[in-house]
Amino acid sequence: MTALKDSADRVLSCTSAYFEGMIAGIDPENSWVQRWQRTSKYARGMYAIRVKGRVPEDVESELESRGIKYRPRDLSAED
Amino acid sequence: MSDTEDHRYDNYDQEGDERHEEIEEEIENDDEPPRRKLYDEDEDDEEEDEEEEEEEQTGRKGKKRAKHRHKRDRAARFLDIEAEVSDEDDEEEDDEEYGADGFIETGGAEDDDSSRRHHARLARRQMEEEEKSPEQIARDLNQRYGGRAAARYTGDMNEIPQRLLMPSVHDASLWQVRVKPGREREIVFSLMRKSIDLEYTARPLQILSAFQRDSLPGMIYVEARSSQQVSQACNGLVGVYPSRGIHLVPIEEMASLLQIKKQDTTVTPGTWVRIRRGQYAGDLAQVVDITESGEEVGLKFIPRIDLTPRDDGVDKKRKKAVGMRPPQRLFNFEEVVKVYGRNYVSKRGPAFVFQGDTFKDGFIEKDFKISALILEDVNPTLDEITQFSRRQDGLEDSMVDLSIIAEASRKAAISVLQPGDHIEVFEGEQSGVHGVVEEISQDVVTISPIGVELEGQKIELPARSVRKRFKPGDHVKVMTGKNADETGLVVSVTDNVVTFLSDMSMQEVSVFSKDLREAAEVGSGTNVVGDYELHDLVQLDLQTVGVIFKTERDSFRVLDQNGQVRLVQPHQISMRRDSNRAIATDSEGHELRVNDNMKEVDGEGRKGRVLHIHQSFYAFLHNRDITENGGVFVTRARSLVSLAPKSNPLKLAPGADLSKMNPAMQTQGGMVGSGMGRGPRDRHIGLNVLVIKGPYKGYQGTIKDTNGQIARVELNTGNKLISIEKAKLHRRVPSSNKTEPLDSFRGGNFNNGSMGPPSGPPNGNRVSNPYAAAGGRTPGWGGGRTPNPYANSSQTPAWNSSSRTPNPYAGSATPAWNASSRTPNPYAGGQTPAWNSSSRTPNPYTNNGGATPGRSWGGATPGRSAWDSGSGWKSPDRPAWGNDPWNAPTPAAAATPAAAPTPAAYTTAPTPGGYPYSGAMSAPTPGVPSTPGVIDYDTAIRQPYNPPEDWLLEEIIAPHQTKLKVQIHGTTYASYLDGAYEGRIATVVGTTRVRDNFDQTAFLRFVNDGEERSILAKYVAPVLPTNTDEAALVLTGKRKGEMVRVRQKPDAQDSFEMVVVESMGTAGAAYWECQKDHLCACVS
Repeated sequence: MTALKDSADRVLSCTSAYFEGMIAGIDPENSWVQRWQRTSKYARGMYAIRVKGRVPEDVESELESRGIKYRPRDLSAED
Repeated sequence: MSDTEDHRYDNYDQEGDERHEEIEEEIENDDEPPRRKLYDEDEDDEEEDEEEEEEEQTGRKGKKRAKHRHKRDRAARFLDIEAEVSDEDDEEEDDEEYGADGFIETGGAEDDDSSRRHHARLARRQMEEEEKSPEQIARDLNQRYGGRAAARYTGDMNEIPQRLLMPSVHDASLWQVRVKPGREREIVFSLMRKSIDLEYTARPLQILSAFQRDSLPGMIYVEARSSQQVSQACNGLVGVYPSRGIHLVPIEEMASLLQIKKQDTTVTPGTWVRIRRGQYAGDLAQVVDITESGEEVGLKFIPRIDLTPRDDGVDKKRKKAVGMRPPQRLFNFEEVVKVYGRNYVSKRGPAFVFQGDTFKDGFIEKDFKISALILEDVNPTLDEITQFSRRQDGLEDSMVDLSIIAEASRKAAISVLQPGDHIEVFEGEQSGVHGVVEEISQDVVTISPIGVELEGQKIELPARSVRKRFKPGDHVKVMTGKNADETGLVVSVTDNVVTFLSDMSMQEVSVFSKDLREAAEVGSGTNVVGDYELHDLVQLDLQTVGVIFKTERDSFRVLDQNGQVRLVQPHQISMRRDSNRAIATDSEGHELRVNDNMKEVDGEGRKGRVLHIHQSFYAFLHNRDITENGGVFVTRARSLVSLAPKSNPLKLAPGADLSKMNPAMQTQGGMVGSGMGRGPRDRHIGLNVLVIKGPYKGYQGTIKDTNGQIARVELNTGNKLISIEKAKLHRRVPSSNKTEPLDSFRGGNFNNGSMGPPSGPPNGNRVSNPYAAAGGRTPGWGGGRTPNPYANSSQTPAWNSSSRTPNPYAGSATPAWNASSRTPNPYAGGQTPAWNSSSRTPNPYTNNGGATPGRSWGGATPGRSAWDSGSGWKSPDRPAWGNDPWNAPTPAAAATPAAAPTPAAYTTAPTPGGYPYSGAMSAPTPGVPSTPGVIDYDTAIRQPYNPPEDWLLEEIIAPHQTKLKVQIHGTTYASYLDGAYEGRIATVVGTTRVRDNFDQTAFLRFVNDGEERSILAKYVAPVLPTNTDEAALVLTGKRKGEMVRVRQKPDAQDSFEMVVVESMGTAGAAYWECQKDHLCACVS
């Protein structure tokens, strides 16, 4: 829905090379690590532990308009 | 229903969460009437079904709407049972979760009908549920949720505070696995791939996840139920070291592994950073802009342009290798054009482009990757920042923009607060309040304010809004930075910059208040760094020398002969130069020496005292009144004129100038005048030597150069130059096949019976030791001039040619008497400046000034007024011997036998005259008794007795040694054999005497376990007798070597109590008193 596929621009704006820590999420449903990262409902795959930066504002507001709250992954949010 | 309970228990977190949402619910339900309606609609048990369905549908975004509803329903169930819950929160979390799902799965068509259909189905289910009996429901639930506890609440996880997500015992464990550093990420990927590969095989991987953190190099973490699963997963992966252990991570540490985050290093324009590597490594830079991604930043910093490029770009590589980087200098268009030519520099708007870099306002502006920058602990110094705020033309210094640095220093300021600090609040509500820090917990400081209305209360404040407070008049000390340890009186305070007048340099120093503390003491700051001292002349490289004019914490500011100021680390200094004897000619053709007061005839007409002269051409002068470079400046000797009128300095009456009295100066003056260091500086150079210690032991070679205690030796074999301590070298005596210590050689040279003036002071370390060189100026020295009636073999009072007498100058660093081979002397080779007490016989050794570098008493000591009358020595008259405090500076007095001029004085045992003061002498000299027969013990004051190192091997004792009980002592401190034998009692099996300069060993049998081994004799100590009737051996004194029996129980604590003993055997049954520690217990 963010139409990342085939859109180099979108990919560029929504991704960052500034991340740290990799999780191989093999069994997200049962993994505490994934639960802690709040990715247990996500697909199996590789996740960064920490990502610097946010998606562009327009993307964020688009997500918002679809009722999706964007969660920054920079561990800055106290939760 | 037990399973419900179980369920509750498992999800305690969830409950807690909902309970606290209860309140919100009250507030919020008005906002959402439609939702409320839904809520009421499906409020029954049936939501369990829906939950299930939800789970089936996870990730399908088309069902989003329906999903929400169901979510809420599920929550509603809890509301009924326990509490009311706001659905708002739930909704949010759902959104989020599903949003994320969608994000990942990309696409999927909206199914508008799905929610409606779903609804219908729900209604049907609800009806069914209502008809069920409770048992049935229970059974259904069981069936539905059996073994699925872990997944149960994931849907709500997103809004649960993370602290409630803490791992429990039900979760799989984390296992730490060692991997090859640098390959962590790769391995995590490998695990992912492997798990996908093996997913549908017979043995899929059972691990749940794996992760890696950049801040934890060399390890990855794998989530699994058992370590066996982990090792199975890691099996076959390259770079994983399961053999190094798969460690369980304690539950309480699991969360922190994922929470680690680097100190937030947010970079904003204006931030100070340092460049990590390359030509500008360590340089301060200011952030100008930041790329959107935040990966690159544009920096502005002071360029280092090589204005003396060698030839061409061809050289570039080599130049880099040499590692000399050009100094920081603002970009100057004209200069660069002059050096490189106009074509190399182009102008674009306000900026210049040169060698691909952009220069603006003198600064270079360049993009850097964040990873190439140091963002933490930047600590820009005032100096550096001043450079930044300076205009390009360099004409006016704009005031330091304090606000630039304020922010930078503020962060650091928090960490330096300490309870008791006076602080003031500079921002926020309490602004202006000042007080004393009571307590600091992280970012919050508690202060008790000093002020009228707040007195007595305690205020909590964020640490960053307070700063240390100083007022003019405070005496402060700098804690960190390059001014560390300076102290001074505060003269002004501007915001967080405090200016104080240094106690040491009497100059104003500005520092951040965070670096200051109030302190009473006055600058303990030292002018010495490493081996170098303020105002030393040091060799920087082949061509350059300079004078240290400022010492910083671990570096120097050096003014070189060309007037350039350099920042130099101690290791960059190749050596210290000595210009004490250097002479130059001033503008009037007069002689110019160090310490003369001179004035420039041209230029600025600066006055100053000559610190150093270099190559008779450059003179370094010092004048306190000049602030620049600490008052040190360099000029040509030719442009100086003496402040004091001088006649012909060469014709000064001898005696008027003490330095002229120095034979060394006179004989070497000519040479020195032609340039210091041209001639052989050390007579050791050229010697044939043998290495006696260290890895090169046994090698022969020739000394090529010396520097202090280090000699450069060219080995005869291998054509190799090594640096080695002189102490490890022995000179080969060409005539015989023997070797002797290096320094004794000088004696030979010196002691040639010539009546002429000595060729130089007998000072082995003139080059190495600055003080020794200064010794030339010591009025006390100058053997050649001092008439010494006792010099019988040479003009040199201090010397004696007796081959039996050790060389007093042996070991130039050790002004100790060497032991003669005859007398075991505990001080042989010791570090103690020992004095030779000798006897009443006039003793030429007393003139040991040369052997005592830099000690003023060295010159004064020999002054026995009786013998040295009229020689100008500053010796105090000494009416009597015994009680004279002259041995105060000589902590050890060793009785050295066989002083050459008076051979009889010592070779026979006690010189009668020796007794009266032997007691007094021995007071500071525990070792005296080791000389047999010199001291009368019965009359001596009782002192604890320490036997000499090789007491066991002494002739008188050796025959009895197998009877002795000994213990190991002193090995802990020396960590000999790791001190494992310390304190153990043993008997002596035997000893063999080896050559004198080797350590003696004794072969011992340990009493408790019968172990036998050899131990260095110096660690073998006698065991004191403890019982009556115990047999013992007298170790020292008149009756040394006698076997006795203890007749009085030794019961005092001190080792030197007197006990009654009975002599045994031939000595007859005499009872006498003996000091306990003069005895060694024997084996019964």
